[in-house]
Amino acid sequence: MGEIRNFRSGNQDGPPPHGSMPRRLAAIIVGDIVSYSRLMQADEEGTHARVKRIERDLIEPSILEHHGTLVKTTGDGFIAIFDSPVEAVRCSIVIQQNLVGRNAGLPKHSRIEYRIGVHLGDVIIEPDDVYGDGVNIATRIEGIAEPGQVYISGAIYEQIKHKVVCGYESLGDRKVKNITDPVRVYRVLPDADAVVGTRGRRETILIFLLAITLLVIASGALWYLLAPGRLGHQAAAPIVAPAPTPSPQPPPREAAAQTPSPSPSLASAPPSPTPSPSAAPPREPEMIAVRGGSFAMGSNDDPTERPVHQVAIKPFSIGKYPVTVQEWNECAAAKACSFTATGKDDAPVSNVSWTDAQQYVAYLSQATKKPYRLPSEAEWEYAARGGTQSKYWWGDKLQPGMAGCKDCGNLASEQPAKVGSFKPNPFGLYDMGGAIDQWVEDCWHKSYQDAPGDGSAWSGGDCSSHVLRSGSWKNDSRYVRPSNRDGYDTNVRYPTHGFRVALSP
Amino acid sequence: MKIIFLAALAAAIALPPGAAYSQGKTAPKDAKVYFISPRDGQKLRGPFWVRFGLRNMGVTHAGDDYQNAGHHHLLIDVTDPIDPKEPIPQDKSHLHFGAGQTETLLELPPGTHTLQLVLGDARHYPFEPPIVSEKITIRVRQPVGGK
Repeated sequence: MGEIRNFRSGNQDGPPPHGSMPRRLAAIIVGDIVSYSRLMQADEEGTHARVKRIERDLIEPSILEHHGTLVKTTGDGFIAIFDSPVEAVRCSIVIQQNLVGRNAGLPKHSRIEYRIGVHLGDVIIEPDDVYGDGVNIATRIEGIAEPGQVYISGAIYEQIKHKVVCGYESLGDRKVKNITDPVRVYRVLPDADAVVGTRGRRETILIFLLAITLLVIASGALWYLLAPGRLGHQAAAPIVAPAPTPSPQPPPREAAAQTPSPSPSLASAPPSPTPSPSAAPPREPEMIAVRGGSFAMGSNDDPTERPVHQVAIKPFSIGKYPVTVQEWNECAAAKACSFTATGKDDAPVSNVSWTDAQQYVAYLSQATKKPYRLPSEAEWEYAARGGTQSKYWWGDKLQPGMAGCKDCGNLASEQPAKVGSFKPNPFGLYDMGGAIDQWVEDCWHKSYQDAPGDGSAWSGGDCSSHVLRSGSWKNDSRYVRPSNRDGYDTNVRYPTHGFRVALSP
Repeated sequence: MKIIFLAALAAAIALPPGAAYSQGKTAPKDAKVYFISPRDGQKLRGPFWVRFGLRNMGVTHAGDDYQNAGHHHLLIDVTDPIDPKEPIPQDKSHLHFGAGQTETLLELPPGTHTLQLVLGDARHYPFEPPIVSEKITIRVRQPVGGK
C-alpha cells in the first residue's frame, strides 16, 4: 500500500502531466456504463452508490496503479489519461476483468457493465478536463464497443501489439461521428488463446507461406552445408547469405529472431521442419564427468550468496567448454535455434537468452537421444570450485592467465576469441569464471534462503529471471568468483551471455 | 498491419544476419526519462519502489527494434560516464529492465546512494543523444529495529 501512496504524491509534485504544457500526446481511456439510464430508472440511489463504489474501489486505484491520471468522472463514466499506451490498455483490461467478477452473482438486468475505448492522440489538458480530437475519437470508439469489452484505435494497437500479450481482433476501418477520417478499430481479447479462433483466412495463408519460405531457406542452407563438403568451417556463418536482396533494414538478426512471437501460431510455424534424420550427427560438446559429493555453496562476500549452505551433488557430466558458435550454428542450421551466431567457430556463442539456451539443449537432446540440459546452479558452482573452498578456484589472490575479466591481470580483456583460452580448473573444466556469463537452469532467487540442498535446480519463485554464473570479460574480478551469481530476464539477450550444457548419467 | 509485419518478418529471416548495425539510434529531441519516485534527496527505509518515467518515447522489450522505443537501465552508484559506443554494462550496479519493466523494488544497504536511469535500444546501446535521467541522491536509513 505504501508504494501507491508514494506514487500518488510523486505524481502530484513531480513532472507529469498538469502544468505548463498545454498540448501533449496521451493515451486516453474513455469508459461508459451500458444502459445507465435504465439502471437509474430501476434503482436510482442503489445504482448511484454502486457506481461510486466501483469508481472508488476499482477504477481509481487501477488507474493510479498503472501510472495514469483520472481526469474526471461523469455520472455514467470516466476519462483517464496515461503516458504509456501499454499501461492504458493494461488498466482497461484490469477494470473489465474485475467487473466480470463483481457482476458474476448478479441478475443480468442489474449488472453494471462498462464499454471502454482507448485512443492515442493529442490532447489539451486542463486541471479537471481534457479536450481535443483525441478525446472525441476515444469517446466514439467507446461508443461502438460491446459491453464488457475494450476497443482500441489503430494508433494504440501499433504501440502495444508486441508488448501487451493478448489477442487483438481487427474490426477494420470504422467511420465515426463528426470525425472525417475513418478510424481503425481493434477489439482486445485478454486471453491470448482467443485470437486463434478469430484469425482470418488471409493470415492463415500468410503464415503458411512463411512456413514454406522457412522450409525453403532451411533446405537451401542444408544443401549449402552438405554440398561443398564440411571442411569449410567458415561455411557456418554465411549459410543464410545466398538468400535474396541485400539488407535494407539494419538489424535483421534481432528483428528476425527476437520478434517476440506476437501470436502463438507464429511461434508454432517454424518447428515443422524438424532436424531431418538424414542430416549429419550433431557435434556434441566435449563433456567431463564429475563425481558426486557435498560442498558448502555460497559465500559471505555478497548478500545474494548468503547463507552458505551444504549441498549434496549427484554424479553428472558438464561441458568442458561453453557452447561454441560452431555447435550453436548446427542447431541454427536445423532451424531448432532461432538465430545464426556470428564469430569464430571456436568462440563461445554469445547474445543468447535463457530461452535460446533451452532451445539448444532441446535440439541437442533430440538429435543425440541423450537428455542434455543446463546445469543446475548448485552443479555449476560445485564444478566451478573444482573441490576448492577458496575465493577463486586457484586460491585467494588474482593471478594472470587464470580467467578472462576486466582486471584479471591479462593483457587483453576482450571478447574471448576462443573457448579454453585460460587454465582449466582442477576438474579439467575451462572458463568456469570469467570469459562469458553462463545461464543455468534455476529461476532467480535473490538469496539462498530456503534453497534446496540436493543439488537440483531451484524452480519456482520469480521465473521471469534466471540465474547467470561465471561473469564475463566485461566484468571485474569480483564476478569471477565461483560463488558469484546474478539474475537476468529470461527472454532477453545480452552480448556477454552464453551457456554450457550438462547431462545426468 | 499484420500482413506488413509478416512480410517484414519473412524478409528479415531471409536476410543475412549480423549486417552492420548502426550504433546510437537517434531519439526524439524532446524525449525525457525521469524518476517518478523516489525524489532527489529523499530518505527511505527498507526495500523501496523505484518507478521510471518516460515521455515522448515508448517502453518496449530489449530486442524489439521499433522507432522511438527502448528499455530502462538503472545505474546504482555508478561514477563512470556512459560510453555511447558500447552496450550498457550488465552487472550489479547496472540493472537491466529488458522485459519492459517500468518499476522495480530495490533493496540497498544503509547509506547514501545515487540512482540514474539510462534508456537503451534493442541491443542495449544508449541512444544518440543519450536519454539519461538526472542523477538523484537518496539516503537509505537503518532498518527499524535492525537485524
